[in-house]
Amino acid sequence: MKRFPLNRRTLLKGLGAAVALPTLDAMLNSHGTAYADGAPVPKRFATFFFGNGVILSRWRPAATGPSWSLTEELAPLVNVKSYVNVVSGYKIKIPNLRGHHTGAAGILSGYPFIALPPGGAPYNSKFGGPSVDQIAADAIGTTTTFPSIQIAVSKRLTRGEGPTLQFISHRGPDSPLPQEFNPAALFSRLFASFTAHDPTDPRDRLRASVLDAVKEDTRRLQAKLGASDRARLDAHLESINEVRSRILALPPVLTSSCVLPDPPTEDNHDIGGIEQLESVSRVMSDLLALAWACDLTRVASYQFSGSVGSTVYSAIGQTDGEHSLTHDAQRQNDVHAAVVYVMNRFAYLLEKLKASQEGSGNLLDNSCILFSSDVCEGLVHSITDYPILVVGRAGGFFKYPGIHHRSMTSDNTSDVLLTCLRAVGANVDSVGSEGGLSTALSTGIIA
Amino acid sequence: MASLLSCFGKSTATQFTTAPPTSPEDPILQRPFEAATLNIRALLSWQYRNAVRDLLGPAAAEVVTPPPDTTVNGWDAIGAAQLSLSATSVDKYESSGQQAAEIAMNDAGARDSILGCVPQSSSDPQCMNAFVAQFGRRAWRRPLSADEQNSWASVGNGAAAAYGDFYKGAAFVIAGLLQSPNFLYQIEIGEADPTSPGRLRLTGNELATRLSFFLTGSTPSEELMSAAERGELESAEGIRLWAETLVNQPGSREAMAHFFDELFQLRDLSQMSKDPVAFPSFGPALASAMRDETQHLLDSLVWDQDGDFRRFFDADYTFVNQDLAALYGVAVPPMCDGFARVTLPADSLRGGFLGQAAFLALMAHPTTSSPTLRGKFVREKLLCQNIPPPPPNVDTNLPNTEGMTTRQKLLAHRQNPSCASCHVLMDDIGLGLENFDAIGQFRTTDSGQPIDASSALDDLGSFTGARELGALLAAQPQLTECLTRNLFRAATGHVDTLGESAPLNQVHASFAASGFSFKNALVETAASEAFRFGAAQAASSQ
Repeated sequence: MKRFPLNRRTLLKGLGAAVALPTLDAMLNSHGTAYADGAPVPKRFATFFFGNGVILSRWRPAATGPSWSLTEELAPLVNVKSYVNVVSGYKIKIPNLRGHHTGAAGILSGYPFIALPPGGAPYNSKFGGPSVDQIAADAIGTTTTFPSIQIAVSKRLTRGEGPTLQFISHRGPDSPLPQEFNPAALFSRLFASFTAHDPTDPRDRLRASVLDAVKEDTRRLQAKLGASDRARLDAHLESINEVRSRILALPPVLTSSCVLPDPPTEDNHDIGGIEQLESVSRVMSDLLALAWACDLTRVASYQFSGSVGSTVYSAIGQTDGEHSLTHDAQRQNDVHAAVVYVMNRFAYLLEKLKASQEGSGNLLDNSCILFSSDVCEGLVHSITDYPILVVGRAGGFFKYPGIHHRSMTSDNTSDVLLTCLRAVGANVDSVGSEGGLSTALSTGIIA
Repeated sequence: MASLLSCFGKSTATQFTTAPPTSPEDPILQRPFEAATLNIRALLSWQYRNAVRDLLGPAAAEVVTPPPDTTVNGWDAIGAAQLSLSATSVDKYESSGQQAAEIAMNDAGARDSILGCVPQSSSDPQCMNAFVAQFGRRAWRRPLSADEQNSWASVGNGAAAAYGDFYKGAAFVIAGLLQSPNFLYQIEIGEADPTSPGRLRLTGNELATRLSFFLTGSTPSEELMSAAERGELESAEGIRLWAETLVNQPGSREAMAHFFDELFQLRDLSQMSKDPVAFPSFGPALASAMRDETQHLLDSLVWDQDGDFRRFFDADYTFVNQDLAALYGVAVPPMCDGFARVTLPADSLRGGFLGQAAFLALMAHPTTSSPTLRGKFVREKLLCQNIPPPPPNVDTNLPNTEGMTTRQKLLAHRQNPSCASCHVLMDDIGLGLENFDAIGQFRTTDSGQPIDASSALDDLGSFTGARELGALLAAQPQLTECLTRNLFRAATGHVDTLGESAPLNQVHASFAASGFSFKNALVETAASEAFRFGAAQAASSQ
């Protein structure tokens, strides 16, 4: 049974789906910090990822502590600066066996990636453990219609080197979670249940009973299979359960922040071979803010561009793919311009969350967004002094206004992952394994 | 070969077991056949669509939206044999199943033939039972057990009662059967092989399924399933007869077009970016024509001529439309508005796949050619050689390369010995193709300097241009051996193991004896022991 949110959905059920309810604010206590029944305002978590790294000298602020200033690459965050904690000096500590694979697996999961024996086939790898967003989903995503959502903008991914470079959300080595590139499709998926159903139509109940029979089939099949296939079907069963509860879920509650917009028309198709990055990311960010405001999910991953991605930043006059630019020492100004472009898109998302009221604050007050890449600098595939931002207050967990926290001892990037998980209420003691294992918090950014 | 070994020796990355050797006298090939572990394998998205079409008709296939496939080790089939289905994927199967079923059961003209009976009332348990048994067997490629039969008949009867409509009830059965793992996966468990104790052979139904998806890209026909149930697939000869029938069905051409799209990465063409300033002629239409050109050459060689497949690499003709003719600077019949076969000039450096724009443009950057990517493709995809990963902290910082040709830049790379050992393997192949720019146009200068496109390879020989490289490759047994291995990977969803070397080598020997008829490779792959037998997975994860 879904515990949260109080009885808003039950209320709605009585009224019928088309009726907007009193705003969420009315259900908060007088301080706006918790619901009237004492349940805390939900916290949210997201990873925001882009490929191929930054230009460190133009990324990292010179001053540490509270008096840091925006650098060229951080400048787009000007309107949300107080929500930003800049983390520097940390290092990816899983074994560094292959550029990009190490950084992607390290910063998103803390587990060493699994290299697949090629045996005369191209080199590939998989994640060695769950990505941090999925640990968050297990902790704070169990009561919402969607445990988590996977958003992507650029389609120019590297698909030939295995799940590590292609996906940023992984439930385990064999369970990468496919991302949604199409905003219109994401909208339909998220908001399909807004549509009022005829309560006399047995359709949804029958769809659920079909899934029950499919589950029986799956268990019968499992009894005949070996261990690895049984484990895959366990994951399949988990997916069926998720879909089943979604079919039976009640429509979200409309509030002052959760307002159903017109369906977007943006579907992420190229125009003349050019990706519409700005338009796609704008709609995706709007949808993410809305999904959080409507409490459809509390966890997301946002892949702006991919590891070793060949995204072309046409809007700023570029014609080459990002990854190949990073490996040309003469083109580092172009790499820088691409980073600034991405930061502008990231700033749009953050400003959108800040503008979404929730009680006396906004969504950014109640979330943690972990921002990073698959390398520090693409030119040399560096994995020390990693570029990391932790954005959002997570309900007062993080320092506000944010600081520049710099490790002078090359601390483990997994410490930051663990800190984010604790910030949003995941009760976990460690993240990652082997060199990537962390049991320590980045206390420097904790309020 | 010496350079390859030294390259592997210097690799700092995880050492993998080396690829199966390809020289027939190698002692390792004397090792007896050892079957590989069987896995359940999700239908690929296009196979799923084809199966829905064959079960419910084209209108139903039109509305399904199966999840996209994920490539592992070069093949979607390998990803499908290893990865689990996410909730997003299950969601897509759920809505696809419901929509396809609804379309099929709303078609008053066709639905009774899908049911196999005519319902006498809104609730007709007898017809429901018969329908579940016969449609279930078709959809799951095997008969249903009594439990399964009861479970799905009860779903159908319940839904029919809820709506007072038999067809609506049957629609929920169809939607459900299509969401069951028994439909979504090729399930291969095997049975004891009476001729070789301890070994598993695929059951008749499993083999019919494997054979049909491999050769026709869809679910087995009633005839094939019946033949399998009569034991006709129990011998290599029996399989061969069926395989020969299947490769001559239209579905086979389409299935192999998917195979070639994957192997030659032609589907990446729709996601390819090129510099619009440097290449104003490039756009989605030209990218699509590039794919078509390659498929036309394959179509002609494999299906029209049933000719020597090696000619794919050094053919002196190709197929162009107006856009490609302009790109290549060749004449086409003036009234031709589609593709036409053209003979390339005898002195042309173009010829074969490696001279086609699809390959040359895919294995390039948006503005510049990439000898490295071109060479890597030839080594990895065409010769099944492993290129070790670059050292993780590689410093690609070169001295100022302004005004240098691509060749000069790459040679500058070689100053660093840790790069040189592997780059020589890739770059020296691509440097011989430098007369072709980032979209495959012929050129004689690079950065204002004349191009030197001569190349000498330790293992392959000396060449200039695509046609000579193709001819060198065509003379290498590794080329056709690698093709048969790739065919096997796509067909079975795993990278071939050392234990499978012997039967795969036999497939290649037969392929060679047939004069490299690709159809022969298909038939012999299906008839090989490696295709027909398997080993059980560990029962527990310990």
